Amino acid sequence: MDMTTILFYILAIAIVVFSLGVVMTANPIFSALFLALTMVTLAFVYFLLNAPFIAGVQLIVYAGAVVVLFVMVMMLFDLKQEKEAFTKGKFTGFLKIASAGWLCGLIAGAIYMSTEMVVSGNQILDVNKASTKILAKELFSNYVFAFEALGILLLLIAVGAVSISRIKGGTHAK
Amino acid sequence: MGTDFFEISINFVKMVAIFLLMVQLVPALVWVERRGSAFIQNRFGPNRVGPLGLTQLLADAIKFIFKEEFIPSHTRKFLFYAAPVMSLIPGALAFGSIPLSLPFHVEAFELFGQTMGPYRFAFQSFEMNVGIVFVLGISSLGAYGMLTAGWASVNKYSVFGALRASAQMISYELALGLSIVGILMIYGTFDFADMIAYQTGPLTFTWLGSEMTIPFLPNWGIFYQPLGALLLFIAMFAETNRAPFDLPEAEAELVAGYHTEYGGLKMNMFYIGEYGHMMVASALMTTFYFGGYNLPFVEPETINEILLAAGFSATKASLLTSFTFFLVLFTKLLIFLWIFIWVRWTLPRFRYDQLMDLGWKKLLPWALGNTIVTAVVIFVMKTWS
Amino acid sequence: MTSLVAVLILTLFVIAFGAGLLYLVSLVGPKPKFSSLKDASYECGLPAQETGHSKIPVKFYLTAILFILFDIEIIFMYPWAISFVDFIENDMGLHVLLSMGFFLFVFIFGLIWEIKSRALEWE
Repeated sequence: MDMTTILFYILAIAIVVFSLGVVMTANPIFSALFLALTMVTLAFVYFLLNAPFIAGVQLIVYAGAVVVLFVMVMMLFDLKQEKEAFTKGKFTGFLKIASAGWLCGLIAGAIYMSTEMVVSGNQILDVNKASTKILAKELFSNYVFAFEALGILLLLIAVGAVSISRIKGGTHAK
Repeated sequence: MGTDFFEISINFVKMVAIFLLMVQLVPALVWVERRGSAFIQNRFGPNRVGPLGLTQLLADAIKFIFKEEFIPSHTRKFLFYAAPVMSLIPGALAFGSIPLSLPFHVEAFELFGQTMGPYRFAFQSFEMNVGIVFVLGISSLGAYGMLTAGWASVNKYSVFGALRASAQMISYELALGLSIVGILMIYGTFDFADMIAYQTGPLTFTWLGSEMTIPFLPNWGIFYQPLGALLLFIAMFAETNRAPFDLPEAEAELVAGYHTEYGGLKMNMFYIGEYGHMMVASALMTTFYFGGYNLPFVEPETINEILLAAGFSATKASLLTSFTFFLVLFTKLLIFLWIFIWVRWTLPRFRYDQLMDLGWKKLLPWALGNTIVTAVVIFVMKTWS
Repeated sequence: MTSLVAVLILTLFVIAFGAGLLYLVSLVGPKPKFSSLKDASYECGLPAQETGHSKIPVKFYLTAILFILFDIEIIFMYPWAISFVDFIENDMGLHVLLSMGFFLFVFIFGLIWEIKSRALEWE
């Protein structure tokens, strides 16, 4: 085994451990912090796969923005009652079983598809400095429509978020 | 990290040395800050302990170490201890990825009867080819240290300080990220070393199809993107939570912000994190807009040749050249750090709504305008030439 | 790859440095003596009225969500920015400029809408 493989396994084990931490700790803050660790480790895996720009994006957007939002939300609500509501009752039990089944299906599907996959070497492009430029070229030639659609989608999300925050009343308004 | 024992150990020593440089600069900066603020406000500042009050730093350090280790029982213990350590990491990693000087070369030599091949060592902890994206990503992790500290302290001042700090940090991250798009268009790379290489020589640009050279100005980014430089610098102040943007620790409202409950060395660690952030900000300003480790009109080769002619071996000459250019960068760094201190003691603090308005309604539109104008100008100049 | 190893080692080193320093310092100082006044959470001379869990304005979450959206848009500008000159040299300049122009138009529209709708106002 060469260095890259060893490093990959170390990072992969770390990701599994941190993700287990997300679902197994009772305290939502610890879950969110574990999620942040998972995101950072995932960014390191992207570095290892010679996709440094994607790794940077993973750090900036997921670890630096999305999970920060989660942590902010959880730190400032006292989640005792909500925790009770989500751990008892028939509906929650159904949700738990359903999501467990779904997860098993996902894992089985992933294993099945990975046996079909053909891995060929030598497909890695000159990745060091050019990879971001290759990405840009793809983005502005083949995927330019998706790119513009994404801009509009983000605008719609912003409008939705502002409208929801305007609703008066409810438990957490104002 | 390297292929053999020698390379790995040198790389490790280098990494630790750069980290310790960052940590050791903090007491010096605290001294500069105290003396500088006293100078600005027409006071004396610390001047009793040692010459110019210099050993005051040592006294402070000893005081920090021998503080009573007391934390209130209602705090969340693990995260309370983890938060100061977490706030150290982003600064250290970001500072490590910025090139502090030219790489130096070690010629092949004999060690224990074996030939150790020629080596090249970069003057930085690690070379990231996406430099600036990595630094932005790592600095955005700084919010965790503050949020964790605020939450673990179970104190309303800490919670509000953490909340304000992170909201302010993310608001200004937008202006910060957008203000460098213009200069990235000019450099065409994320890599710091390439940016610095671009900024060598006299100012050269293409104007209406003919190449112009201004021989008395260096080819620095500031001459291409003065507005971008200003926006980046302002956003950096807010990013580091320094005055006039130090709302998270506005003592009249929030006591000391997210580290209200901390004392002794743990509080000191937050300061190391903050000053580390300042150093990263200054290093970024230098690298992007002020030529990095370049000394205007002096080629590194010239210095290397002078040293070789003076009888130094190739390895020593290379090392000394790198060190010379490190001093150049360090001087620029200190100038920016002094500006940070100068501004802190000159401008009054903003109100929170003014702060948010400045970030979202002033800096962000200006940065957008800067991007658009740069794109159009580059397009016109490249197409009609 | 080698730089990744360096990043991981530096991270571990910084954690070890911080944690080790905290541990060593806890050994040398005077033993903490408990007192109920010292144990209270910090307040300006009065007993604390509320602890850290008061409800906070929804504004902070709104700011964070808007930040994420704009951040993603800015991230998309980075690969565009560094390869803009290459695009112009390959005669794709106008196409790329116009695609980004539309994207920026949506961005600016969103920003103006948010300013007009007073979503970014702080009292």
